[in-house]
Amino acid sequence: MTLTETPPRTDVAALARDVVKIYGRGDTAVRALDGATLSIPAGRFTAVMGPSGSGKSTLMHVLAGLDTVDEGQVLIGDTDLRRLSERQRTLLRREHVGFVFQSFNLLPTLTAAENIVLPLTLAGRRADQTWIDEIVAMLGLGDRLRHRPAELSGGQQQRVAVARALAARPRIVFADEPTGNLDSRAGEALLGFLRHAARELGQTIVMVTHDANAAAYADQVVHFADGRVAGLTRNEEK
Amino acid sequence: MWHLIVRNTVARRGRLALTLLAVLLGVTFVTGSLVLTDTSQRLLDDQFRTATAGVDLTVRDAAAFDSAMGVEVERDPLPPEVVDRVRAVPGVAAATPVVRGQGLLGVAGKTIVPAGPSLLLSWEPGPVGAFTLRAGRAPVAGDEVVVDAATARLHRIGLGAEVTVRAERTERLRVVGLAGFGPAEGLPNTTVALVALPAAQRLLALDRNASEIAVVAADGADAQRLRTAVSAALGSGYEVSSSRDVAASSAAAAKTQISYLQVMLFALAAAALLVGAFLIANTFSIVVTQRTRELAVLRAAGATGGQVMRSVLGEALLVGLAASAAGAGLGVACAAGLRDLAGAFGMTLPGGGLVVAPRTLVVAFAVGVGVTVLSALGPARRAASVAPVEAMRRASADGVTGRGTGRAGWGRTVAGAVLTALGVAGLSIVLAGPGSVVVLGEAAVSTVVGLALLGPAVSPGLVRLLGRPLGAAGVPGRLARESAARAPRRTSATALALAFGLALISFTTVLGTSIKDSTARSYTEVITADYVVESARNEMLGGLPAHAYHHVSELPQVAVASRLRYGHWKDGRSTEALTAVDPVTLPRVTSLHMVAGRLDAVAGGGVVLAANVARERHLKVGDTLAMTFSRTGTRRLPVVGLLRDRDAQALSTGYVISLDTFERNYREHVDASVFVKVADGVRDADARKAIERALGDAPTAQVRDQAAAVAGRNAMIDQVLGLVTALLMLTVLIALMGITNTLALSIIERTRELGLLRAVGMTGTQMRWMIRGEAVLVAALAIVAGIGLGVAFAAGTVTALGRTTEATLTLPVGPLLLVVAVAAVAGLLAGLLPARRAARLDVLTAIATT
Repeated sequence: MTLTETPPRTDVAALARDVVKIYGRGDTAVRALDGATLSIPAGRFTAVMGPSGSGKSTLMHVLAGLDTVDEGQVLIGDTDLRRLSERQRTLLRREHVGFVFQSFNLLPTLTAAENIVLPLTLAGRRADQTWIDEIVAMLGLGDRLRHRPAELSGGQQQRVAVARALAARPRIVFADEPTGNLDSRAGEALLGFLRHAARELGQTIVMVTHDANAAAYADQVVHFADGRVAGLTRNEEK
Repeated sequence: MWHLIVRNTVARRGRLALTLLAVLLGVTFVTGSLVLTDTSQRLLDDQFRTATAGVDLTVRDAAAFDSAMGVEVERDPLPPEVVDRVRAVPGVAAATPVVRGQGLLGVAGKTIVPAGPSLLLSWEPGPVGAFTLRAGRAPVAGDEVVVDAATARLHRIGLGAEVTVRAERTERLRVVGLAGFGPAEGLPNTTVALVALPAAQRLLALDRNASEIAVVAADGADAQRLRTAVSAALGSGYEVSSSRDVAASSAAAAKTQISYLQVMLFALAAAALLVGAFLIANTFSIVVTQRTRELAVLRAAGATGGQVMRSVLGEALLVGLAASAAGAGLGVACAAGLRDLAGAFGMTLPGGGLVVAPRTLVVAFAVGVGVTVLSALGPARRAASVAPVEAMRRASADGVTGRGTGRAGWGRTVAGAVLTALGVAGLSIVLAGPGSVVVLGEAAVSTVVGLALLGPAVSPGLVRLLGRPLGAAGVPGRLARESAARAPRRTSATALALAFGLALISFTTVLGTSIKDSTARSYTEVITADYVVESARNEMLGGLPAHAYHHVSELPQVAVASRLRYGHWKDGRSTEALTAVDPVTLPRVTSLHMVAGRLDAVAGGGVVLAANVARERHLKVGDTLAMTFSRTGTRRLPVVGLLRDRDAQALSTGYVISLDTFERNYREHVDASVFVKVADGVRDADARKAIERALGDAPTAQVRDQAAAVAGRNAMIDQVLGLVTALLMLTVLIALMGITNTLALSIIERTRELGLLRAVGMTGTQMRWMIRGEAVLVAALAIVAGIGLGVAFAAGTVTALGRTTEATLTLPVGPLLLVVAVAAVAGLLAGLLPARRAARLDVLTAIATT
């Protein structure tokens, strides 16, 4: 598989520096992120792993521009998220960020094909059909495009979600426990697709998980605990 | 249990707020109507009781009936010797001749035309007279008058001022006193001129006669026995009644108008409550669905199905109670506003303190609580059937919205289809010819119920069809269409509520316009006169003083003047109206078509019938018709001719007699219309000026050309149409709250979906348009169904009416388009709040919601 065009590559796709995020106030305040510093290398598959409550999901929300930070700096590419309004962050997400959630990734009223191009149509952009065909073929969804989510298996639904995340050629794709609701075979297949997307298509992918088996598919694993990075493991290429 | 219900209701007050508001508005309407009509009736009762309080018996000329269609009949005057004969009866302490009639007051060259009557009465001190002096003294000399204090204040009439009184004669009188009526300054919407008895007799051209005799019994005399004695002394030509009965009968006549208004208000209140019921059922159904897991946990914890059902009904009860309490209060406050609204559309009701009967509050609570609890019954039963295992299941997004299929759905769809088909069949029968208005009513009920049942099955298809333009407008539009289509029960219930309101509005609009147009058509075709003189006051019998005709007919500029009078008569218990005409001059100002017989034959004392009346009564020329007149009792009139229906409609009634016959059987002597044909060689404008000059002493008379005459005939329909439409807007308002409510609730349900959309890049603006689009789509569905139903059944009604009167369908395109526009804009407005809420959803919380 060859690429006709490579997404703009900087060495760092996203960056968090000394990020603090506090929920609540006074006695009940929780420091979900407590000085987290992390850089996401472009074109690689990064897993953020940690126990529940470690702040890994918050980190992802902050990196993706879904949430604001109380202190510190977050960059996607060269864009400083702190300077953006809520609307600008929405537009940034639409253009440069793709998402795969644990469940409920798809709109029940749209077909798989429509779900895949949803971010593009919302932005009023034309889908690059060759590109879409390529990812659909890669994910093996060719015969499922006209189905509604309710007619797809869990694994198929998550693959449609991955296709949607890739459709706009975002700078970075965030996946939040994407295999959490899948059986192990479907889960492994999905992780294989994600790794494939990073290696063959050069797609930057960040996956949040608490599952070490899932993290093993990534190029590097960031260990997260108590609101900050606790360590980094580079996996050997399999 | 109760504790739990209260806590639940309070916790969900946001979701139930609009439901509460809908019930509240309905109850407000009911309460307001009751308070308004009670107040009006009480005021009339008080008024007539006060008028006769000091009198025991009233002697009047005998009449076959007291009043017809809210108008009291005029009776022959009583000669002076009757007073003497009454005085001679033992036990009579005093017998006072009283004169009452109509007399317009004029001050400083301007005539006062009140909304109600202009009374001219003979002054009597109490206890016989009900008026008491507030200032000045009683009238003694022939040129002295006392006016009521209310009129005096309103028109700045002081003691010593000169006023003009126009009755049978017109005279200038000096104000020597101001009088009040009981505790009030006067009678509502009425001017009162009180003069000495001889002056009253002179002004009303009564010679030395009296309108009635007020009898006061001697101390210790039994009123009932005295009545028998007086009656025996006078014979059957006179009617002796207890004054209380007279007051009650007068009040009853005056209340007729109010009872028409009451029926109309109740019908509209019922419509508002029905729409509210849709909204309540929908809200509770959504809330129950959203709480499926919670209810299942309750069941799993050991609650019985009955307990779950009672908990939902308990919530409905609380909502109903709160709404009824607030609605009853608001209704009392709004009654005065409702009176002003009716007044603005020409229905004058007496002013005064509000009457809140205990019955009003009972009805308000019964209606409010009843409607709420009954509407929640279906959802409550569904709540009771939630299985405990549901608690263990993960609520799936698709399961929440439900598709309304399955066996129950099928039964419902089939029943709905059958009922709708029956309704359409009934309507078709009426449109094709033989059906009556009764069939039409049944068809309407069947169709509405049928559509309510069928709604969930057909609404997705309709929504997708109507939503085509939305889909073309991008993803938010498409998503709006799909979310409306995927919750068919909800969408159809919400849309039907609005459709119902819109159907009523378009029905009344189309029906009213059709009747108006038909009236205009037949009038312009049949009446060929150049001008018609009519009273500016919309009185039942016309109210044009007789001398207007004499002045106009003597003008050299006028070739022919022909007058019409209206009269009431009774046929058994039903009241009918007739038209009296001059058979010689009428053909020269009209183009009448006789179906049989001749019009001029009415000169011999017969009656001409409209063709459809003859058909209904199975009468033909040569038969006789028994007619009961107030003054002369039952007379058998020969049928001498049949008139084409359209021509009869132009003459306003289906029974035509000659003015001579009218003269013999009626005491009333006001004209309804004077038709004028301008003489050859005289310009219309000149003739009109001459006529207007000749009418100088008839200030209420108006010269109308054909267009103005048609407008005068249609004024009543315009008034009713205006009032009904204004009040129906309330129904539409409630239905719109239904849209807001349903959308707001479905947003709660769709939180995750909305969050996902925001996460993948839908902007707040796009989301707002998506929700608004959904609201407009529901409104569009309602517009199609509502206006379709309204126009179809208006067409049916016009067809059914067309068999007895002249009526053809007219589609008022402008007003209907206005209804469409208002409903569409209102739909957009209904979506504003939910749209804002959706756009403000926090993305993270939305995604995290399970």
